[in-house]
Amino acid sequence: MELEINTQEDKTPTADSEDRKVVIIGAGPAGLTAASELSKAGIESVVLEKDSVVGGISRTVDYKSYLFDIGGHRFFTKVKVVEDMWHEYMQDDFLLRGRISRIFYNRKFFNYPLKISNVVSSLGLINSGLVVLSYIWIRLFPRREEKNFEDFVTNMFGSRLYNTFFKTYTEKVWGIPCTEISAEWAAQRIKGLSLASAVKNALLGNTSTNKQSVIKTLIESFHYPRKGPGMMWEKVMAVVTQNGSDVRLNTDVVKLHQKDGKIVALDLAGSDGRLETIEGSDFISTMPVRELIQKLDPPPPQQITDAANQLKYRDFLTVALIIEREHLFDDNWIYIHDSEVKVGRIQNFKNWSPEMVPDSKMTCLGLEYFCFEGDGLWSMSDEELIALGTKEMEVLGFVKADEIIDGTVVKMPKAYPVYDDNYATALKEIRTYLESELGNLQLVGRNGMHRYNNQDHSMLTAMLAVDNIRGGNNNLWDVNDDQEYHEELTEQDAERQKLVGQLQSTQPLVPQRLNAEAARSSSEIATGTFGRLDKLSLALACGILAGLYMLIFTFALIALDVSEFGLKVELLGQYFHGYMLSYRGAFVGMLYGFFWGFIFGWLIAYLRNMLLAIFWRRALVDAQRVNVKRLLDLI
Amino acid sequence: MPSSKHNTSETLELKRAVVMLNFKVLGLVLGFLLGMIIFLATNWLLIKGAEPGPDGQTIIGPNLALLGEFLIGYTVSFTGSIIGFLYGFGIGTITGAALGIIYNALVNRKPRLSDTNKPG
Repeated sequence: MELEINTQEDKTPTADSEDRKVVIIGAGPAGLTAASELSKAGIESVVLEKDSVVGGISRTVDYKSYLFDIGGHRFFTKVKVVEDMWHEYMQDDFLLRGRISRIFYNRKFFNYPLKISNVVSSLGLINSGLVVLSYIWIRLFPRREEKNFEDFVTNMFGSRLYNTFFKTYTEKVWGIPCTEISAEWAAQRIKGLSLASAVKNALLGNTSTNKQSVIKTLIESFHYPRKGPGMMWEKVMAVVTQNGSDVRLNTDVVKLHQKDGKIVALDLAGSDGRLETIEGSDFISTMPVRELIQKLDPPPPQQITDAANQLKYRDFLTVALIIEREHLFDDNWIYIHDSEVKVGRIQNFKNWSPEMVPDSKMTCLGLEYFCFEGDGLWSMSDEELIALGTKEMEVLGFVKADEIIDGTVVKMPKAYPVYDDNYATALKEIRTYLESELGNLQLVGRNGMHRYNNQDHSMLTAMLAVDNIRGGNNNLWDVNDDQEYHEELTEQDAERQKLVGQLQSTQPLVPQRLNAEAARSSSEIATGTFGRLDKLSLALACGILAGLYMLIFTFALIALDVSEFGLKVELLGQYFHGYMLSYRGAFVGMLYGFFWGFIFGWLIAYLRNMLLAIFWRRALVDAQRVNVKRLLDLI
Repeated sequence: MPSSKHNTSETLELKRAVVMLNFKVLGLVLGFLLGMIIFLATNWLLIKGAEPGPDGQTIIGPNLALLGEFLIGYTVSFTGSIIGFLYGFGIGTITGAALGIIYNALVNRKPRLSDTNKPG
């Protein structure tokens, strides 16, 4: 399927497009995708980037020719237009890489997704036995109330497995105890699949081409630019600049002026402190929502500012260590579950692309620490962080300190929007305000929309935003919206939503609505096939029929006077007390027929419903297992 | 696995949904089934062969032959098995279709009954 966004290479400017000047805040994947799309449409744009490099969190950092990625960005998507754009820019620079990632716990590697045989061999027999016992225990005596993440995952895996593989890592990533993360949060992440598709998988088998392709796409392989993700965005910048757009680095947006229901101009500050004002007809923002609201001039109502202040972010820093060793491990990245170290994940950039290191005899590891801006980790100096990383690598037993010849630190503020109890309400309030008050401002991208999704989501929102500027009518929030569902869709909208829905299984955190149209028809098929039989109705129908048959049958026997057969039929009286070949007996037979027919019909319906319920429950559980296996990726 | 309280709306919808019977299909299936039962039962007796009756005479399928009292033309013979199949098919089809129609009518009737009970 192809998303029908106006991505054609039509560069002939229309009268309308000549009057337009689009200002894009942020040169990350969303901002530059918007610039690229606008450039193709012949619309002038200016991209403003606070940093000195493009790519946002998808940048590639170059340290003494050692290249590293902030967080590890796999390029995979189910959205063709996004995939096309990647290939359009990357062409031969796009490598297809195999994914290897394992969990490191207690000095041992565990395959990820977890495999029972590997868990048993790595944990040892005693520990494995305890894992099994705790699993059996929780199945027999589940926690009745699943209030938090701990309750939820414990009920799913047992407390021992939860403590080993989920607790520490989740707490490292989000910086809050698992008992304070809502159970719904985990349930949503695991849910992912619809009942209809679960049943379909169960009926058609899980070995379908579709599933294979999904697993291959999601788990086994991905694309990656030869020199890291930043290569893609540098190339986009070069092309859009060549086509007449302006990409301004080291340019901070300090104020957004609003007037008459529109953004009219932005105040900019360059790295040299020079102030400038820029005007535009349309604005696309990828800057964090909180910051955007704070920079509006005149400021929005207090309640909107308060809502914006409730949006929180998780920050992230990478300590890159250069190690004098050719080979350390095969994994692209390793999840570190030990609580004795603070590092959450270790990237081996050489395994993403061999060209990420200038010398194949050397290795560059990225130690990822999740933190909050201003906390202990964030406040440490680069030297202290490199020392910490070195020490932790020794503790984990990966390398010796004297093998580490150099290191550097990259801090990335606001890397992940935090989904706490307040964010949804706050975001909705802000959204409503912006949509009603500032018609020419569109929010796109991860921080721009406060949505923690992969870069394909960011790119798609940007493409849809450009489509809107060109007269389209896309609700960008529907790209990933759980809360609202528009019943009345045009065919094109439905098709668009269908494609957008395909993003769901590839996003790390936010579950999104499946395509409305497809979901509805699948749902109708599922309910039409797997709905329950109404027990009373079937019982009555069988009873009425059986009763009528007994009545007609007996009347017919009397009327036809079939004595020999009649005598045999009268033997029914042995069971149906009072039944005989007479008119009175016919009515007695009718009552018996009704009674037994009723019982028969009720039992048939009951058994059918029960078996079907077991069937689709199992189908759903099987389907969910696919996502459960990827739980760490979803965290 | 996630507990039932995390059920999706789709699951809840499915739990609430009542399936309707396709009376044509049900009729045809029951008809074919009943027809085949008579056809196979008759031919099974033909293959098995005659058994001596109480009076020493050999008769094939004395009990099944009584169906002929009702189903005119039916005998325990190969031709009779085909006639029996047609009778069985007819009776089964009517029964299945009637069952489907009555069931659907009752299911459709239920919400209406509950609607009329609603206050206001």
